[in-house]
Amino acid sequence: MKLIYTDALVVGAGLAGLRVAIAAKERGLDTLVLSLIPAKRSHSAAAQGGMQASLGNTTKGDGDNEDVHFQDTVKGSDWGCDQTVARMFAHCAPKAVRQMANWGVPWTRVTAGPRQVVVNAERITIEEAKAAHGLINARDFGGTKKWRTCYTADGTGHSLLYAVDNKAISLDIPVHERIEALKIIHDGKRCHGVIARCLITGELRAYIAKSTTIATGGYGRIYEVSTNAIICEGVGQALALETGVATLGNMEAVQFHPTAIVPVGILTTEGCRGDGGLLRDRNGHRFMPDYEPEKKELASRDVVSRRMTEHMRKGLGVDSPYGPHLWLDITLLGRKHIETNLREVKEICENFLGIDPADEWIPVRPTQHYSMGGIRTKPTGESPQLTGLFSVGEAACWDMHGFNRLGGNSLAETVVGGMIIGSYVADFCEQQDLVVDTALVNQFASELQGEIDTLCSGGAGENAFELKSLMQRIMMDHVGIFRNGPELEVAVTELKELLQRSQNIKLKCTKRHANPELVEALRVRRMIKVALTVACGALARTESRGAHAREDYPQRNDKDWLCRTLASWPDADALTPTLSYEQLDVMQMELPPGYRGYGADNAIAHPDTAKRQDEIATIVAGLGSNASREQVQQAIMPFELPQPLRAGNQRLHDSFAKSASAANDATFSKGGKNS
Amino acid sequence: MSQSRILTFNIFRYDPQQPGDKPAMVQYQLEETPGMTVFIALNRLRAEQDPSLQFDFVCRAGICGSCAMVINGFPTLACRTLTAKYADGNITLMPLPGFELIGDLSVNTGKFMRELAERLKLWLHPDETQHDIHLIEKPMDPEEAAKLYELERCVECGVCVSACATAQMRDTFVGAVGMMKIARFELDSRDARSAEDFYHVIGTQDGVFGCMTLLGCQDNCPKDLPHMQQIAYLRRKMAGTLITISKA
Amino acid sequence: MAIKSSIRKLSAWLDLSQSLSGVILAVFLWTHLVLVSSILLGGDAMNWVARNMELSFLSSDGHGYPWVVTCIAISIAAIALVHVIVALQKLPMSLRQQRALQQQIQVINHGDTRLWRWQAITGVVILLLLPVHLWLIGSSPETIGPLGSAARIWNQGVWMVYLPLLLMVELHAAIGIYRVALKWGAARNLNTRSRLRKIKTIMSVVFVALGVASLLAFLPHAG
Repeated sequence: MKLIYTDALVVGAGLAGLRVAIAAKERGLDTLVLSLIPAKRSHSAAAQGGMQASLGNTTKGDGDNEDVHFQDTVKGSDWGCDQTVARMFAHCAPKAVRQMANWGVPWTRVTAGPRQVVVNAERITIEEAKAAHGLINARDFGGTKKWRTCYTADGTGHSLLYAVDNKAISLDIPVHERIEALKIIHDGKRCHGVIARCLITGELRAYIAKSTTIATGGYGRIYEVSTNAIICEGVGQALALETGVATLGNMEAVQFHPTAIVPVGILTTEGCRGDGGLLRDRNGHRFMPDYEPEKKELASRDVVSRRMTEHMRKGLGVDSPYGPHLWLDITLLGRKHIETNLREVKEICENFLGIDPADEWIPVRPTQHYSMGGIRTKPTGESPQLTGLFSVGEAACWDMHGFNRLGGNSLAETVVGGMIIGSYVADFCEQQDLVVDTALVNQFASELQGEIDTLCSGGAGENAFELKSLMQRIMMDHVGIFRNGPELEVAVTELKELLQRSQNIKLKCTKRHANPELVEALRVRRMIKVALTVACGALARTESRGAHAREDYPQRNDKDWLCRTLASWPDADALTPTLSYEQLDVMQMELPPGYRGYGADNAIAHPDTAKRQDEIATIVAGLGSNASREQVQQAIMPFELPQPLRAGNQRLHDSFAKSASAANDATFSKGGKNS
Repeated sequence: MSQSRILTFNIFRYDPQQPGDKPAMVQYQLEETPGMTVFIALNRLRAEQDPSLQFDFVCRAGICGSCAMVINGFPTLACRTLTAKYADGNITLMPLPGFELIGDLSVNTGKFMRELAERLKLWLHPDETQHDIHLIEKPMDPEEAAKLYELERCVECGVCVSACATAQMRDTFVGAVGMMKIARFELDSRDARSAEDFYHVIGTQDGVFGCMTLLGCQDNCPKDLPHMQQIAYLRRKMAGTLITISKA
Repeated sequence: MAIKSSIRKLSAWLDLSQSLSGVILAVFLWTHLVLVSSILLGGDAMNWVARNMELSFLSSDGHGYPWVVTCIAISIAAIALVHVIVALQKLPMSLRQQRALQQQIQVINHGDTRLWRWQAITGVVILLLLPVHLWLIGSSPETIGPLGSAARIWNQGVWMVYLPLLLMVELHAAIGIYRVALKWGAARNLNTRSRLRKIKTIMSVVFVALGVASLLAFLPHAG
C-alpha cells in the first residue's frame, strides 16, 4: 500500500477545507487536500445568497458592528451556540470578506445615490452615502438587525470557491481528486491521518499527517429530499464517529430551509425574501405577517419553516402530486432585479419548473438544508478527544450556530472558520512531529480491506441502494421539522434494524476499481450510523430549541436542556450511539438566554440567567461611561484569537463617529428596522 | 400529466480499466415520471438495472458543472435536462469527447481544468502588496464588479472544450474556458498583468490565434457566457500588442 | 513618438494575415465576378470592361497592356499562396487529427463546425482548381474579352474547371467572410450573428447564380 506523508492533511476541498490548507501552506507547511470531486465542484459553490460580515457600508447596515452580528447569531442559535466561538467569528468576518476581495472575489459594490429596494412589499428609495461608493454592498437576510449579507449577485459561493481554489492553485497546494477517506488512523488519543480509497483505480492509500482536518460538509443526504449536493452524505462525521473516541455535537440540530422548489428540493436563496419576496398560500394570501407580525418572511429559518408547515397543516397549502406546497412570490421585485441579482434562481425556475419567476410564483416548501451538528471541536477547531484531529465548516460542531443557523452565516463560517482554525492547525503542525506507526496504519488499512473483500465476495445479501433509500425515507417521515416521541422511537427502531441489515450488504458488481455500487455500500452503513446519532439525539432532547421542534415538548427548556448533545460510538458492534451532554455555562455568557424577538416566547428560564444579568450590569457599571464597546465586551466575556487576527475592524461610520459620536450612538441604539 | 411513457436510453458503456472491455452502446428502458431529469433517470437505472453504470453528479441543480455529457448530439448539463424535452422518448448519452475517460459517462474534467489553471496562471495577480484586511477595503467601480461576475460564471463543465473542433484536433489548445478566464482577469483592475503579459500566455496557436471561431463554445455553453465577444475582444487586444506606440 | 512592431509575435501575424488575405481575395473575387457578368449585358459591354482592365485608356493606340492582367493574376496567386500557407496550419494534417475531427462531428451536432468543414473541403478543391484558372488567364492575358473567354470556356471545355471552381469559391468566400467578421468581433450579440449568417448564405447563392448565368451567357459567343 502506498504511504503518503504530509504535515497538514485536509479532507474535503470545499471553502473551509481549502481555506485551512491555504493557511497551513502560507506558513510553509507541506499541505495536501483530499476530495471526492474536483475542488471547484464542491457544494460551497451552491451557496447563492451571501456571507454575513458587519462592514456597515450600505445605509441599511449603518451602525452595524461585531456586537450586533454576535447578538443576531446567538439569538438565531436559540442560545445553543458557543458564545466564545460566535464572538471569534463575528470579529473575523469583516477581515475574511476583505481578504476575499484581495483574492479576487468581485463583491457587488455600493453605488452612491438613491436606489430602489423592496421592503415589506413596498418599493422604497434608500440613499447610499457618497463615501460608500465602490465599497462592498450588503443585502437583507432573515434574523438579522442590519443589512449585513455581502454578496456577488446570487453566485456568492461560486465566486468565493473559485477565488479560494485559485489561491490554492497559485500556492501549488495539491488536491488529490476522486479520493475518499474511509478510516481515521488513530491510537485512541492521537490522530495520524486517514486511509483513503481512490474512486478511479480502487487503490487504498494511507495519508499520514501531523494534523488531519475534516472539512467534508454536512449530512443532509441522510434525508430523502435535501437541498444539499448528493455528496453531502455525512461520511466525514462517520469517520470521526467510528474512531469510537471523537464525539459529534448536536447532531439532532438539522435546519430546514423555507424555500426549496417542489418537487426536486433545489434551493432558492434566502436573498429572494431578503430582497423583498413574499410567501403566499393557496388563496394568494400573504400569511407570514399573521404569525410573525414583526419579522414576517424574515424571521429566522427555523421559525419560517415551522410557520409554513403549520399553515399547510391547516389545509392552506397548494395541492400538487407531490403533496402540498406554498408559493414564493418574487414577481414584485421586477424583471431587471431578478435577471441581475437573482439570476441563478431564474435559471433554476426555468430549467426545473419551466416557469419564469418574473411572471409566475414559485412552488416551495421547507426542505432539509443544513447540518448545525457535526464533529465536536474546541474553539481552535481541534477535537477535544483526539489530538491532531481538526474539523471545520459544516462538517464541524465548532458551534457558532447552536440549534439554528442564520442565512449567510454558513458561507461566512467556511472562510472565517477556515482562517482561524487554519491558523491553529498551522500552530499545531509547527509544534508537533510526524508520528509514523506502520503497525497502526496497517491495522486500519486491513480493516478497510476486509470490509471491501466481504462486500465483493459475491452471493446473496442486502442491496446498498435499497438500504439507503429506506434510511432516507425514515428520516423524512419521522425526524422532520416537527418531531415527537413516538415517531422518533419508530425512527430509532427502524434505523437500528437497517444498521443490522447493512452488515450483510453484498454487491452485484464486484469490480474493485471504479465501482459505484461499492462506493454506495461503503457509505451507506456509515450514513446509517450518522442518521442514528440524529434520531437518538432528537429523541433524548425533550425540549424545543431552534430547529429542533418537539410537538410533545414545545418549550425551550433552559433549566434542563441548556447543553450540547455529544454522540460517540465506543462499541463498534453497538446499534446505537452513546449520548452524553456538555453544559453551557450561563455564568460565562455574554448574552444570557432570553427572547429571540421572533417565534414563540415560552422558554423555561435557567436559574442562573438573572444572576448573570446582574453580574453583567455590575461589570458594565464598574467600567464607567468612557469605556469603549471593545473594553466592555472584553470585560464581560474575553475571547482568544490568533495574534494576526486580533486587530479591530475599521468601518466607514467609525470615522464619522469620531466627529459626532453622540449622533452615532443614537443610530446604534435604534438598533435596526424592527425595534 | 398524461399516461407515462417508456423512455429508451442508449448509453455509451466502456470501462477502460477492465481488460478486454470494448466501447459499446447499451440500451435501457425506463418508465418516465413527471419532471424527470437525466439525473433522476440515470440514478434509477443504476439503482434498479445496472449498479456498475458510471456517471458524475454533485449539485444536481446546474450549479457545479460536474455532469456535462452529450445528450442526443448536444453537450450539456445532464442534471437540468428534462426527459420531457425529447418527444420520441429516445435519449442517447455519450461522454464528453476530448477528456480522459474514467468510465461510461464519467470523464476527468477536473484534472484538465487544474492543469489549465496552472498552465495559464488563472488566478488574480494583485497589483501591490495585499491590502490590509483590518482596514476598509479598496473601492471598486460597481459596474466593473458586475461585469467581472458576468465573466466569472463559468462552472468549468468542459462543454466548450468538447464542442470545439479545434480543441479536439489540438490537445494543447486552451479552449474557450481558458480564454474566458483570461478575459476575466484582464478586465479586473486588481490584476497587475499587462496585455503583453497575457500575450505570452494566450497569444499563440494554442491560444486566441489558434481559435478558428467555430463557436461550438458559444452555442453550447450552459451558462450562456459571451464566448464569441470575449474571444474576439482578446484577439483584438492581443493583435494590438503587435504595434506599440510609445511616447519616447 | 516611436512606432514599434514586434516581428517575434508570429502567431498574431499569421492569424492577421490569414484574415487579411482572405478578405482581399473575397473582395477581388466578388468584384471580378461582377466584372465578368458584364457579358450578361452583351459582348460590347464586356469588351469595354476588358479593355479598361488592360488600361487601354492610358495607351495611345487604345489596345492597352494585356500584361496588366498577367500582373493581376500573379498578385492574386501570391496572396492566395499566403492564404494557403497560413490556413494549412489550421487544417487537420495528421491522421490522428482527422480522426478526432471526424469523431467530434459525429458525436456533436453543431452547424458552424460543419460549415467550417465545408470551408476546409472547398479550400482544398480551390487549391487544385485555382492554379489552372490563373495559368490560363495569366499566360494569355489578351483573351479576356467575350470571344476569347467564350472559346476557352465552351470550345476548349474549361467550363469543367470553372463550374466547380465557381461553386467552391463562392461557398468558401462567403463562409470565410462570415467567420472573419465574427472572429474580430463584428457581431456584438447573437442576433447580429444569425443575421450575418443569413447574409452569408444569400451572398453565396447570388454569386453562384450570377456566375452560372455568366457562363451560359458566353455560349452564344462561342464559335
